[in-house]
Parts: sequence; C-alpha cells; structure tokens
Amino acid sequence: MPEEATGEGLAAVDRYHQDYGSRARELKRQGKKILGYLCAFVPVEIITAAGFMPFRIKGDVNEPITKADTEMETIVCPLVRSCFDMALKGNYEFLDGIVIPHACDSICRTYDIWKYSLHLPYSHFINMPHGTGKPSLDFYQAVLNTFRTSLSRFAGREISDQELTQAIGLHNQNRAKVRELYELRKASPPLISGTEVARVLIAAMSIPVEESIKMLGDVIEEVKQRGGVLAQKSARIMVVGAQVDSVAFIELIEDSGAWVVADDLCPGAREFFSDVTVTADPIEGIAERYLRKVKCGRTYREMKGNYEEYLEDRFGHMSRMIEGFNVDGVVLYIYKYCDPFGFEVPQIKSYIESKGTPVLYLEDEYSMSTIGRLRTRIQAFLELLGSK
Amino acid sequence: MTEEKKPEERKKRRTATEAASRIGPMVKATIGGTVQAREEGKPIAYSFICCCYDEIIRAMDIVPVWTENYAGVCGAKRDAQRFLERAEAENFSRSLCTYALCGLGFDAWREELGEMPPESPWGGQARPDMMLGSGQMLCDPRNKWYQASQRYMPDVPVYDVGLPWPPYEDDYDYREVQDYYVKYIVEELKGLVQFLEKHTGRKMDWDRLSELVDLADRTWNLIWETYELRKAVPTPMGTGDAMNTMVPMVFMMGTQEAYDFYKELNDELKHKIANKEGEIPDEKYRLIWGGGLPAWFALTDFNYFNNKGAVFPVETTYRMVEAIYHFDIDLSKITDPLEHVAWRWVKFWTYWYDKAKKRPGSHPDVERLIQYIEDYKIDGIVMHEAFSCRSWHVGLIWQLNQLKKVYRDIPSLILESDIVDISSYNEADTRARIDAFIDTLEAVKSRGR
Ligand code: SF4
Ligand code: SF4
Repeated sequence: MPEEATGEGLAAVDRYHQDYGSRARELKRQGKKILGYLCAFVPVEIITAAGFMPFRIKGDVNEPITKADTEMETIVCPLVRSCFDMALKGNYEFLDGIVIPHACDSICRTYDIWKYSLHLPYSHFINMPHGTGKPSLDFYQAVLNTFRTSLSRFAGREISDQELTQAIGLHNQNRAKVRELYELRKASPPLISGTEVARVLIAAMSIPVEESIKMLGDVIEEVKQRGGVLAQKSARIMVVGAQVDSVAFIELIEDSGAWVVADDLCPGAREFFSDVTVTADPIEGIAERYLRKVKCGRTYREMKGNYEEYLEDRFGHMSRMIEGFNVDGVVLYIYKYCDPFGFEVPQIKSYIESKGTPVLYLEDEYSMSTIGRLRTRIQAFLELLGSK
Repeated sequence: MTEEKKPEERKKRRTATEAASRIGPMVKATIGGTVQAREEGKPIAYSFICCCYDEIIRAMDIVPVWTENYAGVCGAKRDAQRFLERAEAENFSRSLCTYALCGLGFDAWREELGEMPPESPWGGQARPDMMLGSGQMLCDPRNKWYQASQRYMPDVPVYDVGLPWPPYEDDYDYREVQDYYVKYIVEELKGLVQFLEKHTGRKMDWDRLSELVDLADRTWNLIWETYELRKAVPTPMGTGDAMNTMVPMVFMMGTQEAYDFYKELNDELKHKIANKEGEIPDEKYRLIWGGGLPAWFALTDFNYFNNKGAVFPVETTYRMVEAIYHFDIDLSKITDPLEHVAWRWVKFWTYWYDKAKKRPGSHPDVERLIQYIEDYKIDGIVMHEAFSCRSWHVGLIWQLNQLKKVYRDIPSLILESDIVDISSYNEADTRARIDAFIDTLEAVKSRGR
C-alpha cells in the first residue's frame, strides 16, 4: 500500500484539497487506472473491486465557465457545467474512463456530451431507476450486474464476489470514519469547523479508499489532540443541498459568525451516513443501499401512510440531525436549474420549520461572484437566529 | 396579487391543413370535458404524455387531465405568468420546468380558493382523484411535480411508473439488456393497474385493453405513414401544423377518435400532394425542426419562416412513433397487452441504435437527423432551446457538432426562449436571427447553383 497520507492528517488534506487530483495523477504514473465519476450515486465499491481507483469529478467555483458552453447548454445545472468545464480544460487528463449515473436530468442528459467530447477509453451509464419498490430494486440489481460485466470487459478479468465484499468493507470503513469525524462537531463549540470538514471530505474524494481511511483516522486523532481551539459563535448551522464540492459557501457562513456543524449534502452526511449491508450476492447489498438508504430528491420514495408520515419518511433524517447536532438554523442551498431539489424546497422548508427550526432558502449559481452576493442574506438570517 | 393582469393580445397562427385548424376546438372541448367529468364524479387522473399508460387509463374509463397540455394552453394564450409568479411565491425556482411551475401555481391557487382561479383559461384544470407520475430518463419533473403538488392536495395519491429504456453504449448491445427492461416495465404497469383498481373500485377489462393496444399500434403505423407523406416537394404540411396535429398522438392515443383524425389528415395530405398544393406557394428552403419543444406563445414564428419561403417538412419533436412493422420483433405475437406496450416502448427508444453503430462516431439522435435530412431533402436545421426543460433541450449543441463531424456542415440555428414563460422571449431578436439564418441559407443555395 502506498504510504502517501501516513502520519499527516490535516496537512495531507490541505495538499490534496489544494491540488485536487494530484494523488490520482501520481498513481496513474505508477500504472493505476483511474475512473472518473459524477455524483454520489455511482457505486464506487464496484470500481474499487475491479482494481480501479474511483475519482470524483468536481467543479471549481473560482473558475469561470468558458469552454463548456461550446458543447453544453447553459440550462444545465451550473455544478455539472463547471465539472465539465474543468474536464475540458484538461484538469482531469489522467482519467481512463467515466461513469455517470442516472441521477438527475442535468447529469443524465449530458452523458453523451461527456462521452463524445472527452474521448476516454471507457464510459458507462448506470441506469438507476427512480422508484424504490421491489421491481425497481430487482431492475437496479440487473443494471449493476451490467455495470459489473462492462467493467470486467474493460479490466480484462472477472470481478469476484470476494473482491466486491472486500471493497464493500473498505468503503463502509471509510464511511464509519466520516461519521466519527462528525461526532467531533457535536461539542459546543465544535472541535472542528465546517470549513475544515468540507476540505477533508473533498480531499477524500480524490484518493484511493484505503488512503482515505488512513487520512480520516489521522485527522480525527489530530483534532482530538488539539482539543477545543475553536471559539464560541452565535449559532450552529446545518446546510442542506445537492453536491457542494467547494468550501466557499460553508466558509462564508462561518465567516459571518456561525459554525456549520451538520449537513445533508454530498459529499457529506447524505453519502456517508448509510452503509452497504454485506449480502451473499454482494450486488444485492449495494443496490439496496444506493436505491433505498441514500435519501436524495432524485429518488422517488413511494408514499406510505398519510402525507405527514410521507414527509417524515423523506425528510425525517434531517430533523434527527438537527436534534443530534443541536442545530439552530438550516440553510437550504439550492442550485439554479436543479429539478430534483428545486421541487422539494417548499416541502423541506415547511417540514423543518414545523419542527421549530428556522430555514433560509438560497438559490445560487455555483460561482464565487454569486456566492458573495449571499453574504447579507446570511448575516440577516444569523441576526434573526440571535434574536430568538 | 396578479389577478387583474389581463393576458396580452395574442395572434393566431395560420394553419396549412384543415386538420390542424380543428385541433384548437378539440383541445378546448377536452379540457372543458374534464371539468364536467369532475362534476359528474368520474375518476380523474393527472397524467403525463409519453408514459405508456394511455391505453390503460382509456380501458378503465379514467379521464386524463394532461397537465403539460394545460400549461401549454396557458402559455399559448399568454396567460401563464400569473401562475408562474404564484409558484415562485411558493418558493419554487423560476428555473424549473415551467409546465410544472404553471401547474403548481395553478393548483396552489385553486386549492386555496376551493374553486378555479379567476378567468382560468378554458375553464381551468380539474382537481384530480389521483396523479400518475412517471419518467425515468424522460424527465425529473415527471416524478417531482406531482410529489410537489401533494403539498396542496395531500389527499390525492400518486403512482409513479418506472419507465427506462436501455442506454446507447459502445461496449454492449442493448439487446443484452432489453429483457430485464421489459420485465421491469411490465411489473411497473401491473402495479399501476392495481393502483387504479384500488382507487376507482373498477376492474381492468383485459380484453378491452388488448383491443386498445391494437388500436394504438395501428394508429402508430398510420401516423408514421401520414407524416412520411410530407416528404413531397412542395411539402403539404409543416412543423407549425404538426405542433397541432400531435394532439391526438400524445393526448388521445388508444382512442378511435385519434385513429380517425390521422385517417382524415392522411387523405387531406394525399389530396394536396396530388394537386401540388404546398404549405406555401413558393417553397425555397426546406428545414427540419431538429429538437426542442416550441415556444407555445410564439407559434406565429412558423408563419414568419413561411413568409420567407421556408417550410418544415419534418421535425423530431413530438414524433413519438415509428412504424411498428419496422421493429426487429413481431409485436403482434406478443399477446399480453402490458408486455406488448413495454416492448413497443423499448423498441421505440432503441430504434436508431443499429443504424448509429454503423457510422463511426455517430449517435442515435444524430443518425435520426441525418436520415431525415436526406429523406426530406433538408437545407437547414432549426432547434429551440427552452431554458426551463433539460429533458429535450440539453444536447442540442452537441448533436449539431457531432453531425458536422460525422456527416456534413449544414446551416443551423438554435432559437432560445421557453415553452411557457414569455418573459424569456424577444420577438424582434428572434426574427432578426431568423432573417440572418435565411440569408445564410440563401448564400449556401446560390453557391450550390
Ligand atoms: S445539483 Fe441538482 S441538477 Fe445539479 S447535479 Fe445535483 S441533482 Fe443534478
Ligand atoms: S419533458 Fe420538459 S417540459 Fe415536459 S415535463 Fe419534463 S421538464 Fe417539463
């Protein structure tokens, strides 16, 4: 095992965060194959089991989108456009392939654009269903088996059940570490800031899972050792939204006088708070987790019980988090052109408010200049919380 | 509030065919019919077009309320803004599908009042007894919209039909996976039938369903043959009319009325062709509407094209049928109606795959454009990018780029506005761009002379 991240936690995080993709580039030189993917719905376990390194493609709020517009309409969500722009500009030149899930229209409808514009040796679309019922689960398992076969063809070898089980174990361990890290946010003031956590999670998306487990462990130790160095601030905030793969927004909230202590984001609680159950056919457990356990607006949860119970089923994890992390206010941070989250805003907002927690809804376009414009609204919200 | 705002004066589009001119009153009657059905206590379902359940709801005498249609009507009457604003006030982003926003704004308003909002276009959209969501690769709003509507109608149940089709991939043929796609769709449709039986207290008449499925098959073939007639030079019918004649195809499939409509359209087109009667007297440029839903409030732009000597013998939008006898399986042998519908769906979406595989670098959507360009003797492509719908409006630029790479350079124009939100539209700008495009077509033509 390469020992890159050994012995350093936050320092390694800074390195990987600042030069995103540097570790993948290194490994590529050593002969490792790197598969890029979008969104939390790509079952990374299968990629790891095939001997490839899953690498999460991210955007950059600091980089104006210039190249992407020649291939991709501006009505695509700005996060996806930024990711694509970064790829076109050669930031991910080390990729051997790309895996794209059926997450939302912005992702699904751009699959061909990615595939035909990047000319990578491998590409695959994971046709995840929307529903969570038994037929959908069976179908999704078949879809994942197609992915497994397709990857085997690319790898030139079978992917064994044992390799899958092992990969599941690793990714579960990785998730457990993130949950451990989140525990450190429960203290008041938290032991680690929201900005730091975001940086850790972003860095972790860019390195092999074994190294991520190690790095997270080191970070946790370091933070525990440094003890309570953070000052008390006026409010504890939870951020809810889609993929927030830049620290800028979290940093803005923390600069305005609050701590971000919890979230329902990717990367974040949404993707790290549920594990894959180890099943005899490992694909079964993987399918179950991604389809039923990861709660995201892209998945259609069938209504059981009455409307109130339905909201509880869809958003109950948010209110549990609010309670568990002692959250004072929620910021609902949604990108323009995002259909899965956009349609949920009124329901999420009223659900959380009905439980007594104030919500600030912000729409943004994933760029430094637009994020900056949100400052006054955040400050006003924090004032409101302070006056409560 | 915006109640007092009067809709802007709207100009009516000139149709070329008599059939197309009958559509407006038909839609009006259908919408009025749903309001009446509500009063009579008939079961009503909010429904989406192209979701495989047409024959099922018809066989069970459930009255569909096509929510996309109602939003389109509001758009065409230039009376959607007040509903969009209402949705915005509810915290729905204005960047979301404006069909959905218009519908949600309308529903929120109707539910608050307990009656139709004042001066609702064509009598309003009836409150449903159930909502039939769907999608899976068709669009996100197809499963998010009705879920969001439940905020205003928490008592109305939703059923969401999973409806995928196999993706076009390099490393495997879709036939390797088609069986499990069909199996899944059949299960989902079975679930739908159970849902409808439960909520209406009615039983599915399977024989009747089989008859309607057969009727729909015949309607598909008839539509395909009828639209192929438009290859004639001069073309007897353009896309402007097709934006009307799509109504029976997507809102009335599985009814005798739809079949009869296309029979009459077929006769009318044949008659026009025999008399060399074109959509316009002097056809100079033949264009394809190569993608995008139309700006319903600006259909007169098609007349503007006509005035410049341009016609649209073909479009990809709303051409939601292929000739069933061209499929690589014999659908008539599949007697189970749900399985039949599922296979028809999968074969429709994969129809251009084999052809695309034969041309290196091609893609089914690009291949379809190439085929139409050749079959219909096309000089240029026009597309429309509606900002609020990602489903049909992402990938247009890329398709044009790809077309150029694998086929040839052909003049193209991408118009930009929306399906419903008129504030995105600038008539002077649009027409200036059309003028410039016509100049390009002319330049290319004279070079070829
Ligand atoms: S932010 Fe929304 S539209 Fe963008 S990728 Fe995520 S789910 Fe899709
Ligand atoms: S296809 Fe487009 S216009 Fe139609 S409902 Fe979906 S997003 Fe809206």
